[in-house]
Amino acid sequence: MQTVKPIIVLVDDSAAMRAFFEQVAVEAELLFFAYASAEESLSFLATRQPSLLFLNVMMPTKDGYSFLKELRRNDLHATTPTVMISSKDYAQDRTAAKELGVLEFVAKPISKKAIRLLIEKYVGPASGCP
Amino acid sequence: MSDSYLRFWGVRGSYAAPHETHLGVGGNTSCVEIRSGEHLLVCDGGTGIISLGEELITQHALRELLVVFTHYHWDHICGLPFFQPAFSPDWKIKFFGPGDTAQDIEQRLSDQMKAPYFPVEIGTWMANIEYLDPRARGLTHGPIGVSYYNVHHPGVTYGYRIHVAGKSVVYVSDNEVQFLKTSIAKRIHEFDADEHELLERMVSEQRFSEVSAIEGVDILVHDAQYTPHDYNRKRGWGHSCYVDTVNLAIDAKVGCLYLYHHDPTYDDEQVAAIHRDCLQIIHERKSSMACHVAREGMKIPL
Repeated sequence: MQTVKPIIVLVDDSAAMRAFFEQVAVEAELLFFAYASAEESLSFLATRQPSLLFLNVMMPTKDGYSFLKELRRNDLHATTPTVMISSKDYAQDRTAAKELGVLEFVAKPISKKAIRLLIEKYVGPASGCP
Repeated sequence: MSDSYLRFWGVRGSYAAPHETHLGVGGNTSCVEIRSGEHLLVCDGGTGIISLGEELITQHALRELLVVFTHYHWDHICGLPFFQPAFSPDWKIKFFGPGDTAQDIEQRLSDQMKAPYFPVEIGTWMANIEYLDPRARGLTHGPIGVSYYNVHHPGVTYGYRIHVAGKSVVYVSDNEVQFLKTSIAKRIHEFDADEHELLERMVSEQRFSEVSAIEGVDILVHDAQYTPHDYNRKRGWGHSCYVDTVNLAIDAKVGCLYLYHHDPTYDDEQVAAIHRDCLQIIHERKSSMACHVAREGMKIPL
């Protein structure tokens, strides 16, 4: 029997943050897609729902809140499991994220171990997750 | 005097500070006027906009303005319910700020003008009011060009880049500079040694983003709210330590920095001490950048 791998998507303009996730994805043999902006991520998200979406708040073009509101209006993403990540560790941002139905708001920096734990928490252990 | 100028109507952060000891700097909250001939751009509607409205209502040359909001915290909108042109039928006022739709801007401004918090609602505004589509990446108001970018402050908050009379002005009332860098420093023990290089890249990315947003501008009006001592206690409140602000402006080769969003607990002497220290930092770094305290009533030709 073949196991279906969870699909993880990250939208973050930080190349370093994408590299953190990519290292976790390689080690854990995840299906992982990273995009530098909301606009770029639509090449995937317009038609597919990830198992877990990591979404940065403050980006040069569309911010994470506006983008998630747009996604939520699409039936495909009305319940897409989403973790908001941000360097902005402010109460107002945590509240805004909660109102959009995110699973969690995680303040940067985020270690590889913390990324692995979040994926395990919300999509279960991936095949190669140490 | 040039027909293009920038004038500070409110320079305090957080809340008004109308104390005798503070009035050399000024007690009103955020509001900056940028004028180019018959075109008027107003940045934020804190208590400073009340006096601006009182002056506007006495003249006849101008009957239209654009107000841009960095965000909707009270100190940036609380002067609007007392802004006389809004209650005058011969005025046209356009509003722009963070949001997903024009209705979002209207709702955020109207929420503070509701019973029992205020006796009249925005329906009593007689001016021709237009809420601009927040999805527009750039605006023009006569010869004044305006664009914006996201800054580090609770909720969605904008910094504005303004092109007027051949000059570049950046208005960043609220912004906590270097926040991620200090977050990483505080939590470095959570990371393995092989992750440190990526953390350094994150710090570099943040700095590049902060610097490039203001690089080479003629005038920067920027949050410089806290002393290092107070910033240590208030890190995470969304405002900058003046040391970080002045170093950022030097790194970005800004022409002239105006220290802004002064803490309401600081009297004139405390703000003067901040200014002296900024000048010392500029001297020690061998920078030619000019640096001034933004004072209420100060008018800068453009």
